[in-house]
Amino acid sequence: MSEPAIELVEMTKRFRNFTAVDRLSLTVQRGEVFGLLGPNGSGKTTTVNVISGLSRPTSGTVRVLGRDMLTEPRSVRRLLGTIPQETALYEELSAEANLRFHGDLFDVPRSRLSSRIDELLRLVQLEDRRRDRVSTYSGGMKRRLALARALLHDPELLYLDEPTLGVDVQSRRAIWDHVLDLRTRGKTVLITTNYLEEASALGDRLAIIDRGRLVALDSPQELKSRYGDTVLDLVLELAPSPALLVRLRSIDGVTAVNTADGTLKVNLTGDPEATGRVVTAVTGEAKLLRINQHEPDLDEVFLQLTGRELRD
Amino acid sequence: MRSALRVIGAVCVKDLRIALTERVFLVIGVIIPVNFLFLFSLFALTGGEAPIAVVMQGQGPLARQFVSSLEHAHSFQVHVMSTSDAERQLQAGRIVGVLTVPAGFDDDLRAGRRIELAVEVNNLQVDFTNDIRRAVPLAITSFYAQAFPDQVVVQAREVDVQAGDTGYIPYLAVSIVVAGMFIEGLLQSVVLTAREYEESTIKELELSPASRWAVALGKVAAGLVLTAAAAAIVTAVVVFVVGVHPVHPLEVLLYGVLMMVPAVALGVLVGTLLKRRQAAIPLALGSFLPLFFLSGPFGPPNWGGTAAISLVSPLTYAIALFQHAFHGYLTAQTPLAVDVAVLVGFAVAAVVAATTVLRRGMMA
Repeated sequence: MSEPAIELVEMTKRFRNFTAVDRLSLTVQRGEVFGLLGPNGSGKTTTVNVISGLSRPTSGTVRVLGRDMLTEPRSVRRLLGTIPQETALYEELSAEANLRFHGDLFDVPRSRLSSRIDELLRLVQLEDRRRDRVSTYSGGMKRRLALARALLHDPELLYLDEPTLGVDVQSRRAIWDHVLDLRTRGKTVLITTNYLEEASALGDRLAIIDRGRLVALDSPQELKSRYGDTVLDLVLELAPSPALLVRLRSIDGVTAVNTADGTLKVNLTGDPEATGRVVTAVTGEAKLLRINQHEPDLDEVFLQLTGRELRD
Repeated sequence: MRSALRVIGAVCVKDLRIALTERVFLVIGVIIPVNFLFLFSLFALTGGEAPIAVVMQGQGPLARQFVSSLEHAHSFQVHVMSTSDAERQLQAGRIVGVLTVPAGFDDDLRAGRRIELAVEVNNLQVDFTNDIRRAVPLAITSFYAQAFPDQVVVQAREVDVQAGDTGYIPYLAVSIVVAGMFIEGLLQSVVLTAREYEESTIKELELSPASRWAVALGKVAAGLVLTAAAAAIVTAVVVFVVGVHPVHPLEVLLYGVLMMVPAVALGVLVGTLLKRRQAAIPLALGSFLPLFFLSGPFGPPNWGGTAAISLVSPLTYAIALFQHAFHGYLTAQTPLAVDVAVLVGFAVAAVVAATTVLRRGMMA
């Protein structure tokens, strides 16, 4: 059996007295699309920096594609394709020059380099702009070019940091399609994103990190079903009092109570009486303006697990 | 090895391409070094000889001979004019002093009577004032020795160490070629390196399997090419405009490369450490200028305590080598071979330091 694509064992990263990642253990299997979620400052970026060799862990083991990142960083980097959030493209150069430079850095055989560049520019639909300066590209075009660059050396593991941040809907859809295509080609993809919709649509499994610790790890469907069957969104005239929140949490069938964007969110189990008990408790203390009942989404799962919204 | 060479070449070509698209590189590459040259030349031209007015109330042959002695004292720009013009010029600040040759100068001199030469000095600027205070008595002595050789029996017999005199500007121009090369190399590579961090493109390098040494050497190579181009421009100005032709042209090439390598490597080092052009450029300029002045641009560095600082400045050795390459003489206490060895040492140390820091900077 082949070794996992990524294996973190008790990985800790400290910056002086601050512990960014605390004994994190997780495994990403080959061929899976794995989402890493966490609010700002959760330790998500530090984790991927360690995985991609930009940072050394303070303790623990980091193995990427069966290789120890600490002892064989160069051979790991050769197998890793990365799209950093800031794209890291040379804006004064053309798309073609950027790709050629990347090919030289990764020692892509010269005999194959030109045809590979053609192939990838075709894939990301930038063939006709290949000689234009990257500074003239839109945000979506830059992301697509960064994707082409990350794929140029045919990596086994691809890491995408916020791949659709700031891009238009059309480009987002195109990037998603590329990621899904990579999965069908057996590539392992690690994604960090602030868009839970994206994580849900692309990820085979998701890890939620908060304050440097792993708080949940499962498929999107499992996470949703595990953290509540139903969610009640209650819009009140005034913000709920702390006493009301305590009372709601004590009701049978209520698994979590949170507030987000002025809305009171109550997670319920399958108990059909629970909804009535919650509404009675709320209307006894506050004026209820609107009520909505729905299946939980990842945002709510995230809120329940971390007490924060993803983009806090 | 083959892939390392490929990386060096790729980084070098990439940096050169970027440099050609950015205006800041043109400013650093051409305007700063050439500006340096003109700035220092103007400084030398305006500060070399004090402009003075001579009012000739006495018009005899001895009076004229005395004025001729003043003109040959290498300290004055002599302008003969009337008393009123001289006063006006002095008030306007166009001249530093007025020397009046009194009426009856020749007669009094022949009769052995005491003569008082009135010297009115605008002592606003002590450097010029001191020039006048020193040079007027010397001019009198020189005039006396020529006019009455049998009366002045003590004479200085000059023995020149060098084959010929070198003018202030030709000497300084060579030092400025060195300064231009150094500041050019330093700034070009500071900008090339710091911009990688500013634009976050350093990630492309960090995430690649390329050897960090190869990346650093590629940056040094790009800096060298850019610096060489600018150095060629400054050298051409010195040769064709200032008129200083190198006695040993090949030495100019060799010493030029030796000079540029530590400058460029230091630039990579500073750029990596500061990671911001806005911080790195003033630091580079701010540390370079005092070092340049302590490294003997106007003559061999021998100013007491500062001589010790000059010993650890690569500019000291480079200026000595370039003075030899252009004028053929030795200005330093050390032999040329030692100067070369020291510069090689600086170059190696700077490259090792730059690559080590870049390597560490790419792995937190």
